[in-house]
Amino acid sequence: MATEAPSFERSFRVEGITRVEGEGSLHLVVRDGEVTEARLKIFEAPRYFERIIVGRHPDQVVDIVARICGICPVAYQMSAVSAFESIFGVQVDPVVTRLRRLLYAGEYIESHALHVYLLHAPDFLGYASAIDMARDHRDLVEQGLALKKTGNELMAAVGGRSVHPVSVRVGGLYRVPKKRELAALRPALARAIDASRATLNLVAQLDAPAFDRKARLVSLRHPTDYPLFQGRIVSSDGIDIGIGDWRTAFREEHHEGSNALHARTLSGETYMLGPSARVTLAADQLHPLARAALDGSGLRDAIASNPFWSIAARAIELIHYSAEAVDIIDAYEPPARPFEPWTPRAGAAGWGSEAPRGICWHHYETDDRGLVTKGQIVPPTSQNQGQIEADLTAFAPSILALDHDAATRRLEQLIRSYDPCISCATHFLDLTIDRG
Amino acid sequence: MGAPSLSPRSILLFVCGEPRRGDDAAAFAAVECLSSSALQGVEVRRVGQLSPEDLVALGPNDACLIVDAVAGVPPGSVVRRDLASLLTPGDGPAPRSTHALPIPDVLGLAAELRGDLPRGAFLGIGGEAFGIGAGLSSSVDRALPAFVAAIEAELAALAGPTAR
Repeated sequence: MATEAPSFERSFRVEGITRVEGEGSLHLVVRDGEVTEARLKIFEAPRYFERIIVGRHPDQVVDIVARICGICPVAYQMSAVSAFESIFGVQVDPVVTRLRRLLYAGEYIESHALHVYLLHAPDFLGYASAIDMARDHRDLVEQGLALKKTGNELMAAVGGRSVHPVSVRVGGLYRVPKKRELAALRPALARAIDASRATLNLVAQLDAPAFDRKARLVSLRHPTDYPLFQGRIVSSDGIDIGIGDWRTAFREEHHEGSNALHARTLSGETYMLGPSARVTLAADQLHPLARAALDGSGLRDAIASNPFWSIAARAIELIHYSAEAVDIIDAYEPPARPFEPWTPRAGAAGWGSEAPRGICWHHYETDDRGLVTKGQIVPPTSQNQGQIEADLTAFAPSILALDHDAATRRLEQLIRSYDPCISCATHFLDLTIDRG
Repeated sequence: MGAPSLSPRSILLFVCGEPRRGDDAAAFAAVECLSSSALQGVEVRRVGQLSPEDLVALGPNDACLIVDAVAGVPPGSVVRRDLASLLTPGDGPAPRSTHALPIPDVLGLAAELRGDLPRGAFLGIGGEAFGIGAGLSSSVDRALPAFVAAIEAELAALAGPTAR
C-alpha cells in the first residue's frame, strides 16, 4: 500500500489590513508550494449608494456620490457629471474642462503623495508604519506632507473644499476661481514638480520584490491628454471601446465572502487598473517633464510587469499632475460663464474617469424630468480585486522561505501596491442578494 | 514643514465629520451653536478629515480641540479623551469619520514631527445614523446642547484662567 507523502500547508491570515482605506482581510492558503486559496475579503457594511440616488436630481447625485470616498471624491463626481452631460447633450466650455482637470490634479497629488510616502514607502524601507519611518526619515515624511498639502490647497481653490469638493455641477462648475486665486498656488506647484522628481529618484532606488507577470492592463486613453475623464477604454491586449461601453467588455459578479462586487472581462478574466496601467498605456500622453523622468528612470518595463513598481508610476504621475497644473494656471483666462444651461430629458449613458487607483465607471438612466431612475457604480478597487487575488496566488510561492511575519508583510505590501480603497468598493447592485 | 506657527497661545478648534452624513454632522452643528465669547481667541477650522499637517503647524504654545462624532458609545453620549490616549487604537470610543489616515496615525505622525503631541483634547458625541442626507438623529439632536457646553468648557480650560 502506497503511503502518501505528508502535505505541508501554510496559512497566512491578516484580519485587518492596515494602510489601506477601509476594512478588509486576507486569507491565503499554500499547500505543498501551491496556493490553494487566495481571498481578499471585504467586510465593510454595504452602503447602497446605487439606491440612494434613485429619484434624485443629477446635481444632487454629483454631490452624493462624492461622499462614497474621502480620498477620491473628484473621480466619483467626474464620472457622474460626465454621464449626465452625455445624456443631456451638454457641451462644456473647454476652459471649464481644464478647470476640472485642475481640480482632479489636486486629488491626484493629494492621494498619490499620501500613498507613496505614508502608506507604501514604509513597506519598502522596512518600517511597520509611517510613524516609525518618520523617526529615521523625517525629511521624507515632511516632503510627502508638503506635497499632500499642495494637492489639498489646489482642490480647495477649485473645488471649494479640500475634502468632498462642492463646485462640480452638470454643465460646468458652480463657481470658477479668479486668476489671482490660481496664481497664488503656482509657487507651491512649481516646488511640487521638483519634489515629485525627487520622489521618483527616491523610489527608483528602492528594492522592489522580484515579481514579473503579464497582467491585462486597462485604462482610459485620449488622443492628446493624459487619461482622466475623456477618451476611450483600452487594454494591453486590444480592448478599444467607447468610454460609455464598459458593459460590452466587462461585467460585475458577486463573490462569496465579499461585500464588493468583483469585475471581470466578459470572458471571466481579471485585469489591472491604476497608475501602472495608465503609465504603460498612455506614456506618450504624459507631460514632457514626466515622460522624460519615466525614460530616465529605466523603469518603464518594470512598471508594466511588476505591481510593486506602482510606487514609481505614482511618482511619475505626481510629476505629470504638478506640471500640468502649472500649465493650466499659466494659460488660465476665466470663462464667460461657469456652466452651460441644460434641458432635462430621458436617457441613459455610462462614463468613466480615472481615479488615482483606476477607472471608476458609472451608468445612469433618467426620466423625462432628468431624475435618476437607475444607477450603476463600478469602483476601481472592485475591478482590481480579482487581479490582486491572482497576483497573491502567483507571488506567494516565492516568499515561503521567509519567516511568517516577513512573508505576511510582503503579501500586504503587494495588496497595498494597488492602493485599494475598500470603502469605495463596498456597494451592492442588488439588495436581495442571497448570501446562502 | 516650514509652515508658519500661529501666534502664541492660539487655540485651534478642528471640526471633523461630514455635514451631509447624518450624525457625522454633529460637530459642525455644535460649532454653529458656540457663543461668541467661547470663540474669543479661537480659530475654527472645519477640516472634515484631520491631517497630520494640521497638527504639525501648531506652535509649542498652541493648543487644539478636535471635535467629531464617535462610534462605540450610546448615541448622544459626550466623551472626552486626551490626545495621548488616542495614539493607540483601543476598545473605547473611536472617531467615526473616515480619515485618510487613521486618527492614531495622524496624531503619531504629528507627535513625531513636532517632538510631542500638541496640548489639547478630543471631544466626541456618540452617533446613531450616518446615512447621506439623513440629518441628525433625535438622540444626537437632544444631546447637542450638552455637546456644545462641553466644547465651551474645554475651550475655556485650554485658554487658561488669564486668557479671558
